[in-house]
Amino acid sequence: MTSSNFVMPGDRVSSIEDLAKTKRVILGPGLRRLDDKVVASKAGPLRHKEPNTFWVDNYQRRYVPARGDLVLGIVRAKAGDVYRVDIGSADVATISYLAFEAATKKNRPDLNPGDMIYARVLNANADIEPELVCVNSNGKRGKLGVLQDGFFFKCSLNLGRMLLRENCPALGALNEELPYEIAVGVNGRIWVKAHTPRDTLGLVNAILSLENAGYAEIEKVCGNLTEVMQT
Amino acid sequence: MYAKHNKPKLSRGVLDMKFMQRTKAKVDKEADDEQGRALYSNEISGNMLNSNSNFIIEPSYSICEGLIDGRLSFRGMNPELERLMELEQAEKQVKTKQEQPKEVSDVEMAKYMQRKFNGKNDFNKRKPNAILNNKAFKPKKQKHHFMKPREDDDSGEAEA
Repeated sequence: MTSSNFVMPGDRVSSIEDLAKTKRVILGPGLRRLDDKVVASKAGPLRHKEPNTFWVDNYQRRYVPARGDLVLGIVRAKAGDVYRVDIGSADVATISYLAFEAATKKNRPDLNPGDMIYARVLNANADIEPELVCVNSNGKRGKLGVLQDGFFFKCSLNLGRMLLRENCPALGALNEELPYEIAVGVNGRIWVKAHTPRDTLGLVNAILSLENAGYAEIEKVCGNLTEVMQT
Repeated sequence: MYAKHNKPKLSRGVLDMKFMQRTKAKVDKEADDEQGRALYSNEISGNMLNSNSNFIIEPSYSICEGLIDGRLSFRGMNPELERLMELEQAEKQVKTKQEQPKEVSDVEMAKYMQRKFNGKNDFNKRKPNAILNNKAFKPKKQKHHFMKPREDDDSGEAEA
């Protein structure tokens, strides 16, 4: 992954166009195709992942649902056969009460307004409400489901994504400090749980201190996490 | 269409078995795709099918960047979750192991094995080639074919 250059909305990205003449190219968020032209639709650094994926890593706090994303949501209301869940997107998401492990029409999951769930986006379309599920294709819960206790806070979408990069040193650095449990949604919402409230708040401060760290500085900031947690 | 209907399918009972879960997911996906294609077949224009664009649009950051699952637990905070994480890790390792380059190529291996077993391959040599090639000569195996099944065996199976 390299950060080569910045693009602004409307910029043509000719490097991708050239590449697309010979092989297939995956255009991620922030890039649009207009016939044979590739145009940026967001402002930020253009990212590239081998072999052929491109996207714009812009700063954003508003989540735009995309199929397959893992998100944190807060149950807002029961509405007939579905729960309405706030995932920070423009529209409230829905989750069917059958989309939980071992749920049946008679045996509904015990969810109440205010509960926190970790779910996968099943359906994301500009014209309809996003739909969530808490089971995988085998009907198993896996890592999804209700989150008990803990502490919840919001951050930028970039921070959530940065923590989830495969080689991100932050979570490992925190692990050296104390045992904890975490759920990071790509919708810029994080839930953490440690043994004591003091530890939990330390974690929250440490994670939020990474907000302004770029790809390059992150390792340096992670070295200082201990200090942040103790203050 | 006719050929598709005749395609052998695994029965639901078999697919529900525990070790068939992966195949089940595959079969389900195929059926889903088929249904989707049938549903939208009259909405897809020829232009949409035939234009071979090299661009694939992927609206999800998680897939583009290859992000990990964001539900993690460390040092025994949530043992159930940590077990899942371990399983996932093990699965990943198996995948990467398979990607390791071969130190001995398939051709070399074949040559080696040929050399190794050339001396011991008396089994085939002992049989005269005439027997193997002569079509008139009935192989021993076919003898089993004509054996009469025991009667009580047969009735037992019918009942079951």
